[in-house]
Amino acid sequence: MTPIVSARGLTKRYGRTLAVDHIDLEIPPGRIVGLIGPNGAGKTSALKAILGLATYEGELSVLGKNPSRQRAALMEDVCFIADVAVLPRWIRVWQLIDVTERIHPRFSRARCLEYLAQTKVTLNHRVKQLSKGMVAQLHLALVMAIDVRLLVLDEPTLGLDILYRKQFYTSLLNDYFDEERTILITTHQVEEVEHILTDLIFIQDGKIALEASMDAVEQRYTELMVKPDRAAEARALQPMFERELFGRHIFLYDNVSREQLAGLGELHTPSVADLFVATMKRGES
Amino acid sequence: MKRLLALVHREFWENKGAFRTTPLVIGGIYIVFLLMSIFTTAHFDNELYTFREAVRLLAEQPVEFRAAHAEEVMLGTSLFFTLVLAFVVFFYLLGALYDDRKDRSILFWKSLPASDALTIVSKLLSAMVLAPLIFWLVFVLTQILMGIIASVMVLSVGENPWTLFLSIVNPLQAWFTLLVSYLAASIWFLPMYGWLLLVSAFAPRIPLLFAVLPPVVFAILQIWIDFLRTFTLDSSLFGVIGEWVANSPAILTAHVHDGRGTLALGAPLTDDFDHAVTLANIFDRLFSVQMLVGLAVAAVFLTGALWLRRRATDS
Repeated sequence: MTPIVSARGLTKRYGRTLAVDHIDLEIPPGRIVGLIGPNGAGKTSALKAILGLATYEGELSVLGKNPSRQRAALMEDVCFIADVAVLPRWIRVWQLIDVTERIHPRFSRARCLEYLAQTKVTLNHRVKQLSKGMVAQLHLALVMAIDVRLLVLDEPTLGLDILYRKQFYTSLLNDYFDEERTILITTHQVEEVEHILTDLIFIQDGKIALEASMDAVEQRYTELMVKPDRAAEARALQPMFERELFGRHIFLYDNVSREQLAGLGELHTPSVADLFVATMKRGES
Repeated sequence: MKRLLALVHREFWENKGAFRTTPLVIGGIYIVFLLMSIFTTAHFDNELYTFREAVRLLAEQPVEFRAAHAEEVMLGTSLFFTLVLAFVVFFYLLGALYDDRKDRSILFWKSLPASDALTIVSKLLSAMVLAPLIFWLVFVLTQILMGIIASVMVLSVGENPWTLFLSIVNPLQAWFTLLVSYLAASIWFLPMYGWLLLVSAFAPRIPLLFAVLPPVVFAILQIWIDFLRTFTLDSSLFGVIGEWVANSPAILTAHVHDGRGTLALGAPLTDDFDHAVTLANIFDRLFSVQMLVGLAVAAVFLTGALWLRRRATDS
């Protein structure tokens, strides 16, 4: 199947700094990809290039289109929520629905109203009267009512409380995602998305530090928890990262077989957050 | 087309205050002043004796005199509307490509499948057609109301408003002339509109400053260099803009001509064009060399605005 996003040597410069540094990337359809990286790693720059919001160097094709030249056409098949609360503050909800319906050929008013009925947002509300959480609900309702092939979410839940965040991802997964669609998410709140992701991309200093499916991650990385007396043995197997918690030593291994580690202590699959920290630390050294 | 209309509709929603409320307020002011003056007259004028005499005197004037004056009063009422419309359009265009960058809602608008060119066209159409049209409609409405009030007044002192003024003026022609002059002025001022959109797309903050400062600095430098070189003051950018306004096809001034007040297209300070308010004179401006140059300048500015808009995001 043709990839949804395909990049070769994707580069974004701001003056002399390389925000995105010759990235090669391929995202197949039907995936939920987490693009995860520290602040300033180039996540947003990469997304903006993919969405046709910024100029870039290198080859980039999204759904077979050139995003910088064909943004309007691309937006018929791609939708994005870039950050929370970017809906115009002056607009009323019914006007927002109206204008979206008239501009977007794949928007379904009925579906949007269905989603909105589950919230406290009413049609006559102005966006500026809504709380941040309600604005996010409204934006999600709009986006989920659009039948697109790629949905890009850039920190869609930043600053929302835990209830809204949970609900946001639950609706996304239950009511929206299917095999035809691809979702690309960046967020700092890794714990909240890790259970819905199918693929992980870590990005550091404009380069890709890790690109793997969640299954592959599970195969490849192992976390080992040992008592202090066996720490030296564990360390000899060259863990990529070590930390201490409640007097236990926790090691993270890349490509070390589970049989080899099993005798030393408890084995786990590392959380994405721990894997992320370990990968970033390794990248720095 | 459907998308373009949706975008223009969007502009109307966002600018309801400027586009709709403002002309309504002006119309309201006219009506209120008319009513106030009637009550003032009624209060001091014993049984409206003076008013009755004035109407009687007016009725004795020849038809041509009354017709000419009635039309001038009608079009003269538009001056206030036109002036405020100019302000509204100026500030609308300054904010048109700036406000959504400032409040970051550009990120939402750019997530819709509407091209940046279409967006700019929708903003231009709102400034060139939508706003003038609404102002014109409210102006017509105001005139109808004022006509009714005046007729009632004239009736109340026993004169016939039909023979006095209703039958001799041709409101449709006056209104039509005004509408054409509005739309013609929209085209005439395209270079300015283009400049405002360019600034609106470019300004990192305070677009007003970026709109006004460069031309002012440029004009002052021009004057200064001219003065150093030739010790004379030749026409500078100020002069060009001033002339442009004076040549505009909008009814902008009233002046005294042959002993009576007359309205004029633009300001009768230049002799490039005939300033008498006629449709032919309005079109004369649109098919002039100046207009051609103006359109070329506008195209440059608008291309720049589009180039910037394509690259614009929230930061």
